[in-house]
Amino acid sequence: MIAYDKNLLKNTFLVTEAKALEKARFITKEQFQNAVKALPALKSQHNILIRSGFFILGVFLYSSVSGVLALFGLVNVDLAIGLVYLFAAIGLVGSELLARQKYYGFGLDDAFILGTQFALGIAVTFSTEGNILVITGTVTIAALMMYLRYVHLPSMVVFFLALTATLAYAVFDLLAYGKAILPFAMMLFAVGMYVAGVQLLKKLTEPFYHNGILLIRNFSLVLFYLSGNYFVVRELSAAMADTYYDYSPEIPLSWFFWCFTFIIPVLYIVFALQNKNRMLLWIGFLAFCFSIFSFRNYHHVLPTEFALTLGGLFLFAFTYFSIKKIKNNATGFTFKPDRFDNSNALLNVETLIIASTFDLKPAIKAEESPMEFGDGGFSGGGSGGSF
Amino acid sequence: MAQFEDEATQTLFKKNLITAKQSDQIKEYRRLAIFSLYSELKLMLYLSVLLFTSGIGILIYQNIDSIEHVVILSLLLLITICCFYFCFKNSKGFQKEESGFENPLWQYLVLAATLLSCIFVGYIQFQYTLFGTHYGLATLIPTIISFFCAYYFDHKGVLTIAVTGLAAYIGLSVSPQALLSNNLYSTATLSYSAILLGALLIAWTVYSAKIHLKAHFNFIFLTYALHLISIATINNLFDNWLMAAILLSVSSYYFYKTSYQIPSVSLFAFTIIYAYIGLNLLLFKFLIFVRADNFYEIILLASPFYIIVSIILFIGLIKNFNKHKANDRIR
Repeated sequence: MIAYDKNLLKNTFLVTEAKALEKARFITKEQFQNAVKALPALKSQHNILIRSGFFILGVFLYSSVSGVLALFGLVNVDLAIGLVYLFAAIGLVGSELLARQKYYGFGLDDAFILGTQFALGIAVTFSTEGNILVITGTVTIAALMMYLRYVHLPSMVVFFLALTATLAYAVFDLLAYGKAILPFAMMLFAVGMYVAGVQLLKKLTEPFYHNGILLIRNFSLVLFYLSGNYFVVRELSAAMADTYYDYSPEIPLSWFFWCFTFIIPVLYIVFALQNKNRMLLWIGFLAFCFSIFSFRNYHHVLPTEFALTLGGLFLFAFTYFSIKKIKNNATGFTFKPDRFDNSNALLNVETLIIASTFDLKPAIKAEESPMEFGDGGFSGGGSGGSF
Repeated sequence: MAQFEDEATQTLFKKNLITAKQSDQIKEYRRLAIFSLYSELKLMLYLSVLLFTSGIGILIYQNIDSIEHVVILSLLLLITICCFYFCFKNSKGFQKEESGFENPLWQYLVLAATLLSCIFVGYIQFQYTLFGTHYGLATLIPTIISFFCAYYFDHKGVLTIAVTGLAAYIGLSVSPQALLSNNLYSTATLSYSAILLGALLIAWTVYSAKIHLKAHFNFIFLTYALHLISIATINNLFDNWLMAAILLSVSSYYFYKTSYQIPSVSLFAFTIIYAYIGLNLLLFKFLIFVRADNFYEIILLASPFYIIVSIILFIGLIKNFNKHKANDRIR
């Protein structure tokens, strides 16, 4: 089922582990280099910048190859739909060729694998004249197949989103009371996916699909929260009812959704801390922030400036005391940096996020004193591309 | 996750790639089940600073004409002085090499103090026009404060504020003339000052490397210089193409060499990306020049090969980078 040589794929995981050990200063650089030499692995790019660069080049390659074929196809307009299917086929052939060439998470293969799913979606759109259920269904199946064959994590994201869209649309469109039960159906679906993810993780013996299943588990947690969030439910139901003027109408069972909005993030955070699950902690924290946003969207208890100032002060105090409490723990919760920096990719981006928000500073300053306003443009423009 | 990581370590041990002692150490460390909230708490500190300073900023902006502005001003000054007091109290004083605080908490207090003093300066400039009509000064003073804090407290985040402030200052002093002259001319002038600022930053990194002053700051300066120069020259490729092409190739060569020296993957990658964009723009210009639309089929047919050749070249460049910097391989 997997397109790659399993030994090479295993070696790729081993090299990743060796790199983590080297970063954590458990093994020396020489040992890591020996491991790289001893374990022939697949060609991957772990640097996100370079991987995206190759992704863009891959997109160029894919579209230029498709363009050449379109040049021949232009002669006959009736073939237009067939041509888009041909594009999808080119993507598939390209993905297969790249997999044969041992490219795994290199950027080029990402472009072809995702491009195939995209082209297939477009092709089905043309041939079914926009039947959403068929389109999302096809993309769901294609993404899952390609994930299983190329162990390609971004395809798993496409799979989950497309599956969610398919089910949501089916419930909304095909069932009589679909609109009323949509939030609950989505919650049920999320729970089902979560349970399925947990069960699959238990049975897993090889590491290949581990990350994909983790991803499904975490995405279903996010979906579960969002499908019961008051803001999401209210705005979406107003948007779907076609009676959206200025202000979305109150929804039935609002007390339930408000409770849900605030209890779920707290539960997530508590469970995350109990089980030491970092991803869940992040999801819980972000969900909590979104809950506060949802609440402030309907109830203006405090003017923004006071809310920001007081919120900042409160958060600072809270963090200060938390740090004080766990600062010197040697096990369990601690403020000491972990030797294994494996938390998640989000943390690695943290410095970048910080630097880019700092960059906005002159623009904010310009708002405060209108004299500087005239030229905020340049500083903003110059800094915008800086990171 | 843990089960597969342990398995992988075990396999590495079986293949004789790590020693038994190391394997035991790793197992023991993993058994501690450390759950470090280091990054999370730091991020929360940063968030709190951001929330607080933007709250204060809006508060002041909204009360700028009311009677309470003296109260607000003195309160702001008081908070700023308090922040600075704690920063100075806990800092180890100025050091030429990388220093920082023992507790990262103070790093964020430095950030808050700098942001608040910037707001303070902006406010008194607006209310009392302290610096007269020389508006540039109102940006320059926060910039100077930021530079001082960045160097004294060894804070990279504040340094980025300082550099952006400097860029804003240069943009400012050039721009009033932009209103008088036509638009195209002013953009070119701004581009030249951007290139000049970039060159200035590079010169500063060379000088500070020589006198061993905060060598770890050089990466930030170089990043700004690279983006400033490259974006400005690429913008100019359309009008003044020969000059811009020469400038871009010189700067790309310099940054390519520097990225090997530091070594820095991001400088390396961005240099190549900018050079590639510039090259393609020139090629595009050439194609327009020779009226390529007459034989577009050939170009379309050649395009996949062009891209494949570029991909092969890029892979070659990365391999070369890895060969020279075996320790900091791009993975």
